[in-house]
Amino acid sequence: MKSKCTFILGGLILAAMPLAMAQTGGLRLPKTVEAGSAFSIQSSGSGPAFLYIVGPGQVLRRKVQLGETTVFAPGDLHNAGRYLAVFVGGSSTENGAFDVTAAHQPMVLSFLAKPSRLPVDLHDGISGVVYVFDAFQNLVLVPIQVSFQLTSVTGAEQMRTALTRNGAAWTKMNSAAQEGVAKFVARVGDATSTRVIQQVPGNPCHLRMSARASGQRLAVETEPVRDCSGNPLPDGTIVTFTETYSDGESTVDVPLKRSVARADMPAYGGAKVSVATGVFIGNEIRLGTKR
Amino acid sequence: MSTDRLPAVVIATATVALIIVGTLWPIPSAIVMAGSGANLLRPSSSPQAAVEILAGEIGQQAWEKAYSSLANKSEFTELEFVRDLTGTYLSLRTYATLDSFDARPLHASADEAQVQLKLRWSSVIGAFLDTRDLRVVRTGDRWGVLWPIVKEPRVPPQVIPVNYLRWDVIYRGPEDDWGSQDVEAPHVRIVDMHPVERSGGVVIMGELLNEDVVPAFVTVKATLLAKNGSAIATEDSFDKISHVLLPKQVTPFFIAFHDVELSEVDSVHMDPSATLIAASADPVIGIEDQHFNTPPGASLSGKLVNQSGQVVNVAHVLGTFYDKSGQLVWVADQYVDRALLPQTPVSFAMSLPADIASRVSSERAIATTYSSGRFQ
Amino acid sequence: MTKPLFIIMCSLFPTIVALGSDHPAVRAAPTELVGPRPLERQTETAVIRDYLQAWRSMSDAFDQNRTDRLDPDFIGAAKEKLAGTIREQASLGIHTRYRDGAHDLHLVFYSPEGLSIQLVDTVEYDMEVLDRDKVLAAQHVRARYVAVLTPTEVRWKVRILQAEPE
Repeated sequence: MKSKCTFILGGLILAAMPLAMAQTGGLRLPKTVEAGSAFSIQSSGSGPAFLYIVGPGQVLRRKVQLGETTVFAPGDLHNAGRYLAVFVGGSSTENGAFDVTAAHQPMVLSFLAKPSRLPVDLHDGISGVVYVFDAFQNLVLVPIQVSFQLTSVTGAEQMRTALTRNGAAWTKMNSAAQEGVAKFVARVGDATSTRVIQQVPGNPCHLRMSARASGQRLAVETEPVRDCSGNPLPDGTIVTFTETYSDGESTVDVPLKRSVARADMPAYGGAKVSVATGVFIGNEIRLGTKR
Repeated sequence: MSTDRLPAVVIATATVALIIVGTLWPIPSAIVMAGSGANLLRPSSSPQAAVEILAGEIGQQAWEKAYSSLANKSEFTELEFVRDLTGTYLSLRTYATLDSFDARPLHASADEAQVQLKLRWSSVIGAFLDTRDLRVVRTGDRWGVLWPIVKEPRVPPQVIPVNYLRWDVIYRGPEDDWGSQDVEAPHVRIVDMHPVERSGGVVIMGELLNEDVVPAFVTVKATLLAKNGSAIATEDSFDKISHVLLPKQVTPFFIAFHDVELSEVDSVHMDPSATLIAASADPVIGIEDQHFNTPPGASLSGKLVNQSGQVVNVAHVLGTFYDKSGQLVWVADQYVDRALLPQTPVSFAMSLPADIASRVSSERAIATTYSSGRFQ
Repeated sequence: MTKPLFIIMCSLFPTIVALGSDHPAVRAAPTELVGPRPLERQTETAVIRDYLQAWRSMSDAFDQNRTDRLDPDFIGAAKEKLAGTIREQASLGIHTRYRDGAHDLHLVFYSPEGLSIQLVDTVEYDMEVLDRDKVLAAQHVRARYVAVLTPTEVRWKVRILQAEPE
């Protein structure tokens, strides 16, 4: 409490000082400047001086003649923020504050689209967030309409629009039933950004195998493995065949090749053969005759 | 002498005494391993001595000396003898060193004896045991070992086409903008988790599924939380897991916490992590003739068959054990010390505690492999 | 009379500031997020903590003209712009002091995938422009800042820090 009071007292004293200076001088500053645009500052007094424009975003210095107008060319001051203009030297020290705002024209989008890979047929599975920037990487804070478009491999489109708040807008989209690569585009005026979303098959829906004995060996093979939308599971997905017999068990993990898994196992009469992938279990086959 | 200094003096005295005892009356394997056995030990005038000298020479990798002392060296070459012990292909045996050995006479007559030799090898993943039952015969006044050579099978020359899938990964670069996509990390999920109190600590066992369509390099970390929410300890699965998981593959994991009581634990925070990794769906390893052996000596044994055309240098077998209700009761593992040659079965046997074994109703084994020059 | 009093007040200024502003006063308004993702208390605390730390880093960096002081707390465009400014002011032989006195924070947006958090901060700070130890100008500022933070390995870092007219 005590430190807060002393701070407020000190702050009041400080605040009073520059105000007094601005009032006594003939300093004329724009209240706001659009980033990258030209502007001018009029000073009072006489003699040579340095004009500093200081802020977290940028620092500029010009050698000036007090009493004259100092002109800043387009592009000189381009980072948005709060700036202090300070004249040093000459007959007096003047300063004042002004703001630089983002340019109104959006030029660059930072587009976060997640995930880049997800199963098909997932409601609101894809999210898109856009931050809108001007040509100088300043966040455009005025509300702007953003359009989001997701085009699947079949050509089907989903469209959403959203208004930015504090420079950001977001949306959610569904993944398509068909596996493949979808294009996710965010657009603000002429500025666009595209992301690729890979829609992959979901969990297997149908896992069936057949077995064929050939002498001492057993050839097992699955039917083409598909998800519930009919998409074939990708090659490399591991399928486990398990053969259980009186003396023990044999297993083999086999990757799918062209949606089919094949394996060669020792044949035991009366054995039970099962198939699984991940936590999904398929059919079982019992071998009939003993060797 | 003050009481403060008494413990230090006692310890120092005991240390010196034990050093003196060890120097004056060393155990035979220590003498031999130190390289001075030939001088200190009596010559091979007994079956046990013959076996111990041979083991010492194996430990020192004095292959010529060891081979020349064998009574049946005409049956195989020195190279075959060396390969029997160190492996033909790169494997855990290649860089293993003999830590110690035990020679136990089984029976003896005037001219012949049976001695069981247990060789304890030390490798990068831990120790493994090689047990040989040796016949020792007397020729004149010397005993010689008949070495039971295990010749590595020759794989006949052939072409084995391998066209299983392989995955490569291209990551985003450091100069890519914020918002530029990167390759998505694989989605993995813990499908089973079971904490138990064991051996004065807590063990977390479970199973992890790669539910994605891309290969994943996985680890699992667990944090035990006390009732007040503070963390008691954090451990990870280390090598009690198959780190490379192909799509839809399931691995068990085993995380051990020492000196923690289960009653102190209020909850467990599990942290599985997965990163994309370049991988190959090859080699395919069949695990045949799996057999659960009941106590005493409870174990899961079987044979690994490399169904690809390339040598697998190191194979790691993980076993998951379930009770009647399908609940996970134990996870065991074993490294196979020999390389897996194509189409050539290699045995394994992983042991488990007897009290756990009595509850086991079913089991599942998976194999994870390393081949030099490959990425999996 | 005015001049001696002014000199006395100036000499007391560092003490007043030192007594008053070791830690800024922080008010975090109840979260009213736009977006579907819920914000956990732990995350909220971490974001506010790391944002305030970023102000301290920025203050040190500008005072000492050291761009490396930005590294732990800034990333991307914010870091590039601030570092560029520090290099500019160093080349001109000046340095600036930013002493934040009070923050009034509102967390306004947590993106659905969890990769960015946006907050609006009405901040009061004291700004001084110095040539070595000589104060060229000083001003008390109250400004509305929009910040976007993104998560890194161990903390949230400021990716956008932009003042806008109130």
